[in-house]
Amino acid sequence: MAEAHKILATIKTALEAGGQPDGHNHAAAPAPARKVAVTAGAERAELATSLARELEAVGGKFVGILSPDEVSNRIVLLAREIGATTVAIGEGVSIDMEEIGAALERADFKIVKTVPVADVERAAMRDRVANAELGIAEAEYGIASTGTLAVISTGTRPSSLTLLPTASLIIVQIDRVMADLAAVLASLGPTRLAEHRMTLITGPSRTADIEKRIVLGVHGPKALHLIVVWPRDE
Amino acid sequence: MAASAKGDFFDSSRAAVQDHELQRKLESASTRHLDHFAIVKEEFPSYEDEKTAAHRIKTDAIAHLDELLIQLTDKLQDSGCKVFFAEDAAEARKYIVDLVKSKGAQHVVKGKSMTTEEIELNPALAAAGIDPVETDLGEYIVQLRGEGPSHIITPAIHLSKEDIGQLFTDKFGTEYTAEPEKLTAEARERLRAIFLAADFGITGVNFAIAETGTLVVVENEGNGRLSSSMPETFVAVMGIEKVIPRLEDLSHFLEILARTATGQKLTTYTSFITGPRREGELDGPAEMHVVILDNGRSAMLADPVLREALNCIRCGACLNVCPIYRRIGGHAYKSVYPGPIGSIVSPNLFGSAAGYLPFASTLCGACKDICPVKIDIPRILLHLRWKETEGEHPLKWPAALERARSGARRFAGIARHPRTARLLGKIAAQMLKPFAHNGYLRWMPPPFGNWTKYRNFPRPHPQKRRPAPAENQAP
Repeated sequence: MAEAHKILATIKTALEAGGQPDGHNHAAAPAPARKVAVTAGAERAELATSLARELEAVGGKFVGILSPDEVSNRIVLLAREIGATTVAIGEGVSIDMEEIGAALERADFKIVKTVPVADVERAAMRDRVANAELGIAEAEYGIASTGTLAVISTGTRPSSLTLLPTASLIIVQIDRVMADLAAVLASLGPTRLAEHRMTLITGPSRTADIEKRIVLGVHGPKALHLIVVWPRDE
Repeated sequence: MAASAKGDFFDSSRAAVQDHELQRKLESASTRHLDHFAIVKEEFPSYEDEKTAAHRIKTDAIAHLDELLIQLTDKLQDSGCKVFFAEDAAEARKYIVDLVKSKGAQHVVKGKSMTTEEIELNPALAAAGIDPVETDLGEYIVQLRGEGPSHIITPAIHLSKEDIGQLFTDKFGTEYTAEPEKLTAEARERLRAIFLAADFGITGVNFAIAETGTLVVVENEGNGRLSSSMPETFVAVMGIEKVIPRLEDLSHFLEILARTATGQKLTTYTSFITGPRREGELDGPAEMHVVILDNGRSAMLADPVLREALNCIRCGACLNVCPIYRRIGGHAYKSVYPGPIGSIVSPNLFGSAAGYLPFASTLCGACKDICPVKIDIPRILLHLRWKETEGEHPLKWPAALERARSGARRFAGIARHPRTARLLGKIAAQMLKPFAHNGYLRWMPPPFGNWTKYRNFPRPHPQKRRPAPAENQAP
């Protein structure tokens, strides 16, 4: 990479020529203190409520805070409510997606299960996910202050699940809901971040490109549903 | 259309000023935007602290750009990316066009990227027989019209919903509608098919994290996610200034960027991309390239005042508050980057053809007040004005302006002698009296005629004596 060295050398020379930023510079201030809250009980419910409220403010739909035993039945209901026939589903982070898939199958929904694919199967798998009316995924984190869900894409939980189907359902464990983005990035850390593609999702796909009017559902899902789940041991 | 001669700017801005329909659209969009911004700013008590933190992190990053780029390059390569440093637009274009050709790609999709507009990638691809499809709705609309974007965040801000409805009817033969929902649904359907067939994707980059080699792409529609995860080959194009040191720095930027750019707390989608897809994964490219572009940025780095402009995170807020932008719109600037920040970066990226843009400002300071990374835009504009008139390579001004400047110099000479100046002022006031109408001078005899060409002067009053300044010593 001869070009790289040349350009880096140019940059180094330019930095030296420009010298230290001049006196006008705004005084360096320490970064605002971030509190990484340790949460329990009532506080968790408060964070989950904030997550739900913020997500609804950007057009998301909050289904509820459910116990693990209620989740499957509620999802079957939701799939019926939105008129889905095919549901795409991957592996959960800590939730048993097998159980949810089985419940949907018993209720006569067609299931597209995302599994690691060989190159020749990729296009066909994508088409199947894209043709589903609902995609279900579990988020690694929720962010209370902004109504955001952080999903990490792997072989069994592809990013497509929250991107290609007409509607998206994201489930998050209540103890994975954090106060703000800084807390999530701190908890995740650089090493884990670099392992996979991560997407922060704040509401359904939207645009304001025509006269700054907000329209939902441009390229991604037209609707985003959220379920918050209590851990099994509580 | 990267940049133009001064004649073009004078003509295009004069024409735009007369376009009251354009101003109506710009006012309506900017006002709606600023209303959204006011709400989210209100709800974010630490906004000022975050701005200060963002400014500090960016300034530090820019001051260590060489080290950070080396670290970033290493990490990108570790994650399986191919990295190409492009000295200028031509090198970047050639790299990408050659890559598209060598892959034999048939369907090229593009996420929104101002940097690819800057390097004029689309015309280069078209010349090679490849028609890239812009997939951001606003970019898609202006591409259908054969135009470039007129705003760095809202590319079709100069069009009404009726304009876009007519465009879709003309291009697709669909029934006319001006409903944004129906127009968006039409675009969704057409572009979804293209995404699923695409074999080559291109996007810009909002932030590049040096410690992990992660590229961060911020958007609302999902086109950035699709362009970067569906095609087999993916190219990300970034300016050298996009690098930040650590993951933990990012939260300071993401929240202020969304608030100032679109009035959101966070944008709908923020993608963190570290290398191509792993074994067995459904999404992500098999091959990922990162083009890191200088194109005049290192020259800005060498100027201690200009360097601050590299802090820009391209939120577009300074356009929305600028009284000039709101009168003439983006296209009149004849540069990919319009508005206050565009008037700073354009002359540096595109050369002297855009050298007149720093003068297209009232220096009112609204841009400085709204800038989320606290760039002192008016100060840099003044610095550029100085460079363009007194610097090493001054602009060639039209003869009339040259005369005005030498006149101003003579005036400065006279003004150093208060008695003479007062006497000459009295004489001039008497002489100009016959030319005044209703207290204003609309016309002056040569060689002063150019002064009244674009503005009216209040009639000078000889009896009004300026009080003698406390210190009348020339510095």
